Order: sequence, then C-alpha cells, then structure tokens
Amino acid sequence: MKFFGRFALYAGLALAALTFIYPFLWMASATLKPPSEVGALSLIPHQITLDNYRLMWARAPFGRALLNSTFVATTITVAVLVFGSMTAYAMARLHFRGRAALNAATIAVLLVPGQLTLIPLYTLIVQLGWIDTYTALILPYLFNATAILMLRQFFLQIPQSLIDAARMDGMGELRILFTIFWPLSKPVLSIVAIFTFMGSWNEVLWPLLVVRDQQIMTLPQLLTVFALGGGAGSVGVSLAASMVLVIPVVVAYAFLQRNFIESMAGTGIKG
Amino acid sequence: MASVSFDRISKKFDAVTVVEEFNLEVADGELLVLVGGSGSGKSTILRMVAGLEDVTSGKIRIDQRDVTPLPPRERDVAMVFQDYGLYPHMTVRENLSLGLRLRNVGRQEIERRVAWAAGMLGLEKLLDRRPKQLSGGQRQRVAMGRAMVREPLVFLFDEPLSNLDAGLRAQMRIEIGSLQRRLKTTTIYVTHDQVEAMTLGDRIVVLADGRIQQVGRPIDLYRAPSNRFVAGFIGTPPMNFVEGRVASDDGAQVFTAEAARVRLPEGGIAAGVLAEPVTLGIRPEDLRVDPAAAQGESLLGRVVLVERLGGTSHIHFDVGPHRMMASVARDGMGGVGESITVRVPVDRVHLFGADGRSLLQSSQ
Repeated sequence: MKFFGRFALYAGLALAALTFIYPFLWMASATLKPPSEVGALSLIPHQITLDNYRLMWARAPFGRALLNSTFVATTITVAVLVFGSMTAYAMARLHFRGRAALNAATIAVLLVPGQLTLIPLYTLIVQLGWIDTYTALILPYLFNATAILMLRQFFLQIPQSLIDAARMDGMGELRILFTIFWPLSKPVLSIVAIFTFMGSWNEVLWPLLVVRDQQIMTLPQLLTVFALGGGAGSVGVSLAASMVLVIPVVVAYAFLQRNFIESMAGTGIKG
Repeated sequence: MASVSFDRISKKFDAVTVVEEFNLEVADGELLVLVGGSGSGKSTILRMVAGLEDVTSGKIRIDQRDVTPLPPRERDVAMVFQDYGLYPHMTVRENLSLGLRLRNVGRQEIERRVAWAAGMLGLEKLLDRRPKQLSGGQRQRVAMGRAMVREPLVFLFDEPLSNLDAGLRAQMRIEIGSLQRRLKTTTIYVTHDQVEAMTLGDRIVVLADGRIQQVGRPIDLYRAPSNRFVAGFIGTPPMNFVEGRVASDDGAQVFTAEAARVRLPEGGIAAGVLAEPVTLGIRPEDLRVDPAAAQGESLLGRVVLVERLGGTSHIHFDVGPHRMMASVARDGMGGVGESITVRVPVDRVHLFGADGRSLLQSSQ
C-alpha cells in the first residue's frame, strides 16, 4: 500500500513536470526539424537540420543582439549588486539623519508599478537625447528597491562585533562591506543576481520603447521584432531565435543555483 | 605601553545619559576592571576608548595623546569582543594577520608575530582552521591572539568570557590574568561578573547608572564598600542587609530593627544619624553560629534552608521579617525549623544611610 501510494505520488509529479517541460523540449526539437515537420507533436525529429539557425543568423544581427543583451544584463546585475549592497549597508548598519525616511521611501518605490513610470521615464530619455543608446537601456535599472531591501534584511543579521572588529583592524566602511559582508552574504547576493540578470535579460517592453537601431537591440527585442514583424519567415526560425534567447538564462541559472545552494549550506553567519 | 586618562567623559544617546562625568586615570601596565550591571555604561565606556562610539563631551587620552576625535584604526588599541567577532570566512591565520596586513606590516614580521601569539596561546595546530571548526575556548584564544599580534598600547576586553561555560571561564580567566602580567600591556576589562573583577583587577571600578560608585583595589572594595550598591555587588554570596534605625543605649550606639539589636563600633558614626532610617550590612562569611554569643552581638533566627556545598554551608534563616544568610565552615546539626544564634562581629558590621552611603568611614 505504501509502495503504491509512493508510486502514485511520483507518477503524478512526473506528469506535472512533463506538462512544464514538454513545450520546452518540443521547441528545442522543433528548431532542428525541417519546415515540413515543425507542426508535428513528436519530440524526435526524423531528419535533423541546422537550417533554422543558419537562416536566423543570416536574416537579422542575432550575434550582435546576443552581445548587447549580455553587456546590458551583466552591467545592470553588477551595478545592482554593488550599489544595492552599498545602500543596504548604510541603511542597515550606519546611523545617519533621515535613515528611517530612506527606508520608507525605498519601500514606497515598491508600491509604484513599473508601467506607471514608463511614460515619464521615456520622456526623460528623449529629452536627454539618449534614444538608441546603451545608456537608455542600462541607466534606469542601476538601482533596484527590491534588491536593496533584500540585502538590507540580510545585513541586519550580521553580528555587530564583526563590524567593530573590522573597524578595530583598520577597515573603512567600503572595505567592511566588500571583504566581510560580501563573502558572508553569498546566498542573498546569488538570489539578487539571478533575479536581476533574468529580469534584465528578458526585458522587452523598455528596449522596444527606447531603441530602434538594430545594432543596439537586445536579444528578446530583436526576437520580438523579428518574429512579430514577419522577418523570420517560418516558425522554425522563430523558435531557433527563442532557443538562443533562453539558453544563456538556463546556463546562468544552473550555475548560480549551485552556488546559491552551496552558500546556503556552507556559511553560518555566527563566528 | 601607555596610560589612559578619562577627562569628564559623558555619553548621551538622544536624551538618555548613559555615562556621566567619568573621570579616571588608568596607569601604565595596569589591569583595570569596569564592573556593573547591564545598563551601567561599562561597555559604552570601553567602546568610547576603542573609538567605536563617539564621546558626547570630555576627552580621552592614551599615552598623553588626545584620541577623542580619532577613528579606531588611529588609536593603537585592540579589542576582544564578547562573541569574539572572528571573521567566519577566514582561517585563524587570516583572522590573526588581517589587522597587520591592513597596516602594511611586512610579511616576515606578520609571520613572526602570528607564530609568537599562536605559540603563547596554543593555537599552532589550529592556524588553518575556520572559526566554525573551533570550540568556544579556542575561538576566545584566537580573539585574544588577534589583539596581541597588533602589539597595541591598550587592550580592551568586552565581557570576553560570558559566552563560555563555567569551567572554561575559570580557566580562561587565569590565562588572561597571567598573559596580561607577562605582556604588561595596559588593559581595560569590562565584566558584569564580580568574581572576574575580584580575581583579575589591579583595580576595580564599580559602575551603576553611568556613574562611578567606587574605585579601588579588589580587597578594599570588599572590606570597605563606600555605599550600599558596592556592598551588595562585590562579594559572593552577597551581603545581608537589614533595614532599621540607630538608637542610643547608655551612651553606646546600637542598631535596632524588628527582632534585631546589634551594637555598633564605638565612635564610628556621626550623631546626626540617630533615629534616621539606616541599613545594616553584614557579609554571610562574617557571621558565626555561636549559641554562646552575647546579646547585642548576636541575632536570633529560625533556619529556613541549609545548602551544603561540601566545604562550606549556606544557612538561610529568618530574623523576624528579615531573611539572612550565613556562610559557615560547619553548620553543626542545625536543621530546617530550628532556632539558631548567630554572632555578629562588631568590627565587621557595615552601616548605610538612607542615601546608600556608608556611615562607618573607619570600617575595617
């Protein structure tokens, strides 16, 4: 009975997992199929071809878009981690006038939906003459309230004696942040990095607003323009472009997730 | 090596005064213990010396140099923290050497000092471990080693033993004491444990509510506490207190309270305290069970509890409404509920006024 129950549980879970993974596997397999086969539901192509990828690469500057996306997402992620943890450190561990107000303001930022600021931000970018620049893609994302609050919450738990000891050892605040707090905050830094990188990587709406030059376009933007604008010419080519978009995210996630689990298991904060 | 001087130090957190008009000179090479309950301001004073806390008013000098406006790294002091403050992601060696590396001390000199401190503290085999892999006592030693390698002018200890269990605490107390005597570095040691204070300190400062209650050698504080707070704080088991009044009896002064009448030392107190409310203090170890004790030098009580510790026994007894305790080498056959006569040696009696101040200035 116990065995049967367990079997049923795993069967159910496997089925549920399949419903999530099937579309992805189907997409992966479809990119390797010739146009005549793309419509089929089977996962194994009768005939394997790389034509879809070749056509995709030939029809739009996907290589360039891949570089653009990598550059934009990496810059934003690094900035969110560096500036976010500096802000969070100050908010969590330094005493200064207006600290409570800054806290409240940071939380208030979370309450404002992004769509609301889209138009004002766009107007601003136009005024500043930053349309069709990397600045327009990167600058609005350098600070992130969620990241600051997550980091702050984590930093609050680090014992004061570590800060005191570091100050006695002769460290300044920046050094304390990057040589003491950062190594102890790997779990939260990993989470923030994953979310920031994925969020930035998958962003479509903002690039569509501020970038029209194909040379500056990010991957999801180019893909959208390409697929919706009919540039792809076939479903297979559209799917191939989607694969190119999704693979770096999967790789980044797999890499950081391992790091994340290790950090969770490995670091006790207490000395 | 250096002296430390506190010149009218005050500290306020917003409207709350934590330390008030603290004046003190710590001599070169001295081990000074700051002792007091929680909220007495002892840790705050230590953190002000370290530079971890700003001074609201007054000046702190180390080796004649005014360090009040300086950040911690420019004060040449090292501190040992209650929860050690070791960097969890660094090895013992890295923990010990970090402060030196940040001060650009040469590599060979760093190695020499780390080896010296590790040798002195028995840490040689632990140098490549992380703090998590160490026991509480070992972590404590690493924390001390980190302070030692700096070769600072002043050591600051902030309740360094309170996270250890009783046995280890006694052992580490002895080690800290002998280490300090060997290094002869000026040391300020904060604790709430009066046993640590008594055994370690060259001098003790008793603090309450941010004010100095008394400064002196441990034995002086024990024998001649200047007020009731110090009398109750220093010494284990704590001093017995009985509320009452001073009366005159045939020219001699006597302490009277319900069910108690004790002669006071002659000429010890001013006439003005007659009929004022006072508190009699007598240490448990000064009381003797003595059925033959004379009236006026004894108390009659009823035993409520006997704690036999082996070498000594603690007899808890009631004298009228007053609960008292005697610490005696042998408790005889006395059992709970029995009557007991306890001799009160006149020369060991303490007397405190309504404001808590000692009224027997000549006491012992």
